[in-house]
Amino acid sequence: MGRYFVKRVLSTIPLLLVISILIFAFIHLIPGDPVRKMLPKEATQEEYEQLKEELGFNDPLPVQYINYMKGIFHGDFGESYKNGLPISEIFPARLKATLTLTLWAILWSVVLGTLIGIVSAVKRGKFLDYAGMVIATSGISVPSFWLGLMLIQIFSVKLGWLPTGQLDSWKGYILPAITMGCSIMGTLARYSRSSMLETMQEDYVRTARAKGQRESLVVLRHAFRNSLVQVVTVVGLQIGGLLAGSVLVETVFSIPGLGRLMVDSINFRDYKVIQALLMFFAVEYIVINLIVDLLYGVLNPKIRYD
Amino acid sequence: MMKKRIPALMLAAAIAFSAAGCSGGNQPSESSTAPSGEPSTSSATAPDNDLVVAFNTDIQSMDPHNTTDTLSITVSRTMYESLVTFDENQEVVPLLAESYTAEDDNLTYTFKLRQGVKFHDGTDFNADAVIANYERCLADTTLRQNSRVAKWESCTKVDDYTVAIKLKEPNSSFINQFTQFQIVSPKALEEGLDLNKNAAGTGQYTFKEHTEGDHVTVVPFADYWGTKATVDSLTFRAVPEDGSRVAMLQTGEADYIYPMPTVQAAQVDGTDNITVGAVASNIMRYVTLNTNLPELSDKRVRQAMNYAIDKQAYAAVVFSGYCEEVLSCYPSTVSYYSEQTPYTYDLEKAKSLMEEAGYGDGFTLTLWGDNISAEQTGMQFVQQQLAQIGIDVEVLPMEPSTLSDMIYVDEDEAEINMWYVNWSASSFDADGSMRSILHSDMVPPKSANTAYFRNTEFDSLLDQAIKTSDPEQLTDLYAQAQAIVWDEAPWLFLGNDELVYGAKSYVSGITLNPDGSVDVTNAALAQ
Repeated sequence: MGRYFVKRVLSTIPLLLVISILIFAFIHLIPGDPVRKMLPKEATQEEYEQLKEELGFNDPLPVQYINYMKGIFHGDFGESYKNGLPISEIFPARLKATLTLTLWAILWSVVLGTLIGIVSAVKRGKFLDYAGMVIATSGISVPSFWLGLMLIQIFSVKLGWLPTGQLDSWKGYILPAITMGCSIMGTLARYSRSSMLETMQEDYVRTARAKGQRESLVVLRHAFRNSLVQVVTVVGLQIGGLLAGSVLVETVFSIPGLGRLMVDSINFRDYKVIQALLMFFAVEYIVINLIVDLLYGVLNPKIRYD
Repeated sequence: MMKKRIPALMLAAAIAFSAAGCSGGNQPSESSTAPSGEPSTSSATAPDNDLVVAFNTDIQSMDPHNTTDTLSITVSRTMYESLVTFDENQEVVPLLAESYTAEDDNLTYTFKLRQGVKFHDGTDFNADAVIANYERCLADTTLRQNSRVAKWESCTKVDDYTVAIKLKEPNSSFINQFTQFQIVSPKALEEGLDLNKNAAGTGQYTFKEHTEGDHVTVVPFADYWGTKATVDSLTFRAVPEDGSRVAMLQTGEADYIYPMPTVQAAQVDGTDNITVGAVASNIMRYVTLNTNLPELSDKRVRQAMNYAIDKQAYAAVVFSGYCEEVLSCYPSTVSYYSEQTPYTYDLEKAKSLMEEAGYGDGFTLTLWGDNISAEQTGMQFVQQQLAQIGIDVEVLPMEPSTLSDMIYVDEDEAEINMWYVNWSASSFDADGSMRSILHSDMVPPKSANTAYFRNTEFDSLLDQAIKTSDPEQLTDLYAQAQAIVWDEAPWLFLGNDELVYGAKSYVSGITLNPDGSVDVTNAALAQ
């Protein structure tokens, strides 16, 4: 496993280089540049050309790329064209907001989602199964934007129990975390249900029952543990998506997270911020996939890494 | 059978629940929909003395010499002051200056400075401070104030409390633009204080904190020279989503919001202690008509198109009524506005003008604009109106930066037909409201005269006016200039947006300016 780990980590280096070139090329290929937005609208063409030159946008793209990469190797991701702040300062606060929210959303949705999945599988075809699947399907199909606004209307405006967003206190996390976690809860409930149903048919489950083991033990120790491989795959993919920031949830609840930063930066053509964000998302996906692959071995010792 | 019915029932219940949520958010309002000017006075009291103002975006820059967006200007004005400012009628009045005089040569302006003013860092405000700010802006070409001070010949100290500014050439817009030249503590400039993370001005408030993308908080400055702030703190929050911003006002998390979405204005006015108000803006809504195109080169066609637009319907459809008809090429909030004869909605007249010009059967044009939903509604409205006189318009909404790339091209590559756009001169001057978008020197890529409007008489009137300082002469010159634009109709003149805000009734003293900046210097919360 140690060798496998080292091999995987080393293989990411060329991958990241290729990704960085692709990102750089694509961002600069889309029309528009930040210079117009940086200048007052009365600015003349001369002022535009001057600023463009100063920012180095007139250099050939490969030169711009090399300058950019040089900066990165010195730990300097550059500054935002929009507000002049160094990216190394903007990023941590934004990441913290997204990360905290993601954790809360994942936490409740994984617990509730798998629970619904297990119960639905065990009570297959009964009322609880249907109820669980209605909740799961609603969770997946309700648009998060709409759900967020509804929760604000009910719990903030009508009842006055919770703030409309802003992560100033723990209360601020509740509504966004619910909104964010809903579709994951639903997806997980469905996956864990079908995965449980499959394992419940396995011979070893029948054997365990035949040995006279208690049903709860059969379900949790034999069936659930073996269905976890699929669940972990789904959770891994979902976390990857959530860490890229949910633009809609962050917008509805006025949370300064990575998703909103990404959209704002694209609108402004804030190249350096976009590049830094995309690189981070790439690394993040690679790391999460690695963790998921390693977890497979922990959950199912039959899986080997050769 | 029974089993199958259960999920269906539950689904129905879920739908019923969500529908209830919907109607809960849309309480009909009993109050009138008419925009009111000032927040009403009421016996309601604020829950605390911390004022929260919610905007739809975060500030772009805290450096007062590097701001272009109105929100950054709003925030910097709480901490910094300029020598002169606008009063509520958009007249220039002294602020850090006690008085000022303009010499007859229209080149030299002398400012007598206020004494006893201190910066937040304890430094005294005087002539040296003004000069230090001038030198900073002149030296650093990346600052947005740089292009302004580059037009000055010199900025000199007459005595400790008098400075003289000499311009390179006469500029009747100078004093208006000078209202945006805010003064930073010379000590802070010398020590290289990072003005994006700190502030050192003479303003009513001092900087407390800025969480990027979220909020800026300022607190009262104890040694302020003028009327001291009465609130404990003042926070500007970024709340991009319209519905959430309104919800914050409803719950009291925000005491004042701008912009108030016009579609929700009537609904919340008068509920939850909320007052909705509107002010006339300096925003001109128009569609540029590329006069280089054969069809649009004929003045009669352009006038016909103006007659074919129902401006009242435009205001109602696109702005829920929060839009005024405009009778010149810039709104009445800008200086030297001169009212013209309206292009009253008249389809018969429009059609006969089209016939006369030889386009009785109409033609086809494209209409470009931003892809945000309000702009698209406006574009569709124009499309529908022009269809009435046989002009087949293809609406092409585009992502703003992409659009900008297509606009600012060399003239022989220009593909523009019509552009649904708006313009506002933050300096509220006639020249700023016309030159960049109508002067023949300003066709793309140089600037935004996207109608490719070329009228030598108009150009010379503008060039003459910029060198004049006599108000009577200016009135006459700008009136002639406006009359030419109105008659030549290089645009469809659509309207003048009203800016809509929402406030809790216990808030007083906040003024929304026509440029969308907000003056909070006299804000108070009823306790």
